[in-house]
Amino acid sequence: MHHQSKIIILVVLFLFGNFSANANVSLEKPPTISFSNAEILSTHSTRIPFKLVDHLIVIEAELLDKKGNFIIDTGSETLILNSKHFKNNGVLFNSGKETSGVIDVIDNPAEKHLSEFLINDLLIERKTSDVIDLSHIEVSKKIHLLGIIGFNILKDYEIFVDMYLNQITLSRVDRHGEKLDNSVYLEEIIDTVAFDLKKHTIVLDADINGETLKFGLDTAAEFNQLNKRTKKKVLKYFYPSRRIALSDASGKEMEVLAGKLFRVKLSDTIYCAPMETVLTNLSHMNEVFGTELDGVIGYEFLKQQRTIINYKKEQLYFIKYPIQTH
Amino acid sequence: MKPVNLNTVIILLLIAVNLGFSQLPIPTGYSIDGDDVVFRFNREDYDKYSDDTAWSITKFDNLDIKTVSVAGEFNNWSKTKWKMTKIDKNTYELRKPLSKFEDEYSWAFKFVINDRYWAEPENNAPNLTPALKYGILPLHVNNLNMYTKAHPAKDGNVRFRLRGFEDAEHVIVAGSFNKWNEKMFKMYKIDSGWELKLQMLPGDYEYRYIVDGNWMEDPTNPDRVPNEFGEYNSHINIGKFVTFRLNGYENAQNVILSGSFNDWNEEELEMEKSVNGYWTCRLPLSAGKHHYKFIVDGNWMLDPENPVKESDGMGHVNSVWMVR
Repeated sequence: MHHQSKIIILVVLFLFGNFSANANVSLEKPPTISFSNAEILSTHSTRIPFKLVDHLIVIEAELLDKKGNFIIDTGSETLILNSKHFKNNGVLFNSGKETSGVIDVIDNPAEKHLSEFLINDLLIERKTSDVIDLSHIEVSKKIHLLGIIGFNILKDYEIFVDMYLNQITLSRVDRHGEKLDNSVYLEEIIDTVAFDLKKHTIVLDADINGETLKFGLDTAAEFNQLNKRTKKKVLKYFYPSRRIALSDASGKEMEVLAGKLFRVKLSDTIYCAPMETVLTNLSHMNEVFGTELDGVIGYEFLKQQRTIINYKKEQLYFIKYPIQTH
Repeated sequence: MKPVNLNTVIILLLIAVNLGFSQLPIPTGYSIDGDDVVFRFNREDYDKYSDDTAWSITKFDNLDIKTVSVAGEFNNWSKTKWKMTKIDKNTYELRKPLSKFEDEYSWAFKFVINDRYWAEPENNAPNLTPALKYGILPLHVNNLNMYTKAHPAKDGNVRFRLRGFEDAEHVIVAGSFNKWNEKMFKMYKIDSGWELKLQMLPGDYEYRYIVDGNWMEDPTNPDRVPNEFGEYNSHINIGKFVTFRLNGYENAQNVILSGSFNDWNEEELEMEKSVNGYWTCRLPLSAGKHHYKFIVDGNWMLDPENPVKESDGMGHVNSVWMVR
């Protein structure tokens, strides 16, 4: 009954450029990401414990002999590797320039293709990954950050983000979104909400004071965000309390008004408790999310709802948050 | 009894050592009482005040105190909103739930007299931090700092102790519990080295000592993990006591608690029958997730009152308990 096992996630990375043009690129020992703490449930599903760094969901992993952390981020379109630790050269990441003249070369030298991404022997083919400098996150969060796991990795799984047990469960799904392993959750699903997938963004319809708003669900949003140009009827339920400094993805700091957002309703049965929210100008964020949003919900939402995300079915499921009595 | 978890050093409820009171860096202005933060202003702790309009620091003597408020990062430095209650001639108190403060590792605050004057903390308060305007410009006065995840406390549940280094000037303990802050937790000198007691929430933490600016692992803690600098961070898991309870089964002869915490031992943890007829077992557990089951007269069963359960990947279903 006692079960401790290790999961190896293999990431086989090579450019097709290298593959076709340069046979010397050694792939005998493919790079691996390993999660030393993960529990394998079956060939199709695994549980990975996370820690919260401030409000970020961070999992420990090892890639190419480097130990560090990855952020789970549904707001990111792709897998992002930190250029501080993964230089854009060498066997793993030959630059686009070196492969020029070869068919299928990528123009952006920082954009890489992972031709295979294996989780517990599950193969995902041809993933794109960006290699960008994430050192500002390392500095502000004081963590050793190898990268960010985004939509293009997560979309092939049903993802249970469990803020009660501090773990994510990944279950492989077929093209209809059906789990290949049906015995993953033993707890009852108490509610279901449909969402729209706009590009890579999970878009939920939420109701505040009779107004319907479009909220993006971003697992790496440390604070909820509400567009300050939203309707007065909605702002009536935003109670400001303080100003805080936020830094955006580029590391630039700005001061925003923070407070609590009340009476958010996702359906007739799902009411959210007041959520810590900041008022921001979301117009630049809409480019990042690839769609028009009235707000973004993240940690503040996930901490009250044990949430399962199914991208293929475009549905969220919720599992009851237990009352701890011991 | 077997060790609860072989992989982890569990530091639990360390017995308080009798130390001279003066050595302890007890924070000024607040204390943590159960799930509450208690702000406490004692007039005798302050002998100066400053005034935003005068830009000067004045003696307290002639100030007639009518009201005292708490202003800080948590209420946008409002001088009026968080009024304190007068307890006696010199003491004012305000109680707020700890859950209001969980977003940050530290919060700066100050006391405000008569909605106007800032009480200036004494320079020997251990939790002083320089005041900044808009977070940047130094104001040449000090704020008090409040730490909620881990804070110095006389009866703290964790004692950090570094032997030797008696000629060092400053020794700091920094870790994942305070975002590796290099100034926050100053250790105090004891006979054979340095010490600091912290009250910490259950969790898995890494830490190091900083001796006069030089980082080092805890030489007496064998539990360590490699860090990105090719060196090691020391590791601790702060656990807590948990009571497992099974209602009913009054006629059972023998009930055993078995789980991942004792390698599924089928004899070790016998539950006790209470006078009210239910079965209990109290034991220290490390922070994190634990799988468990009850064995009632030889029959394995899930905890009927715990909805949280998981499979272990080998065909078994277990109840799950989270220590946090």
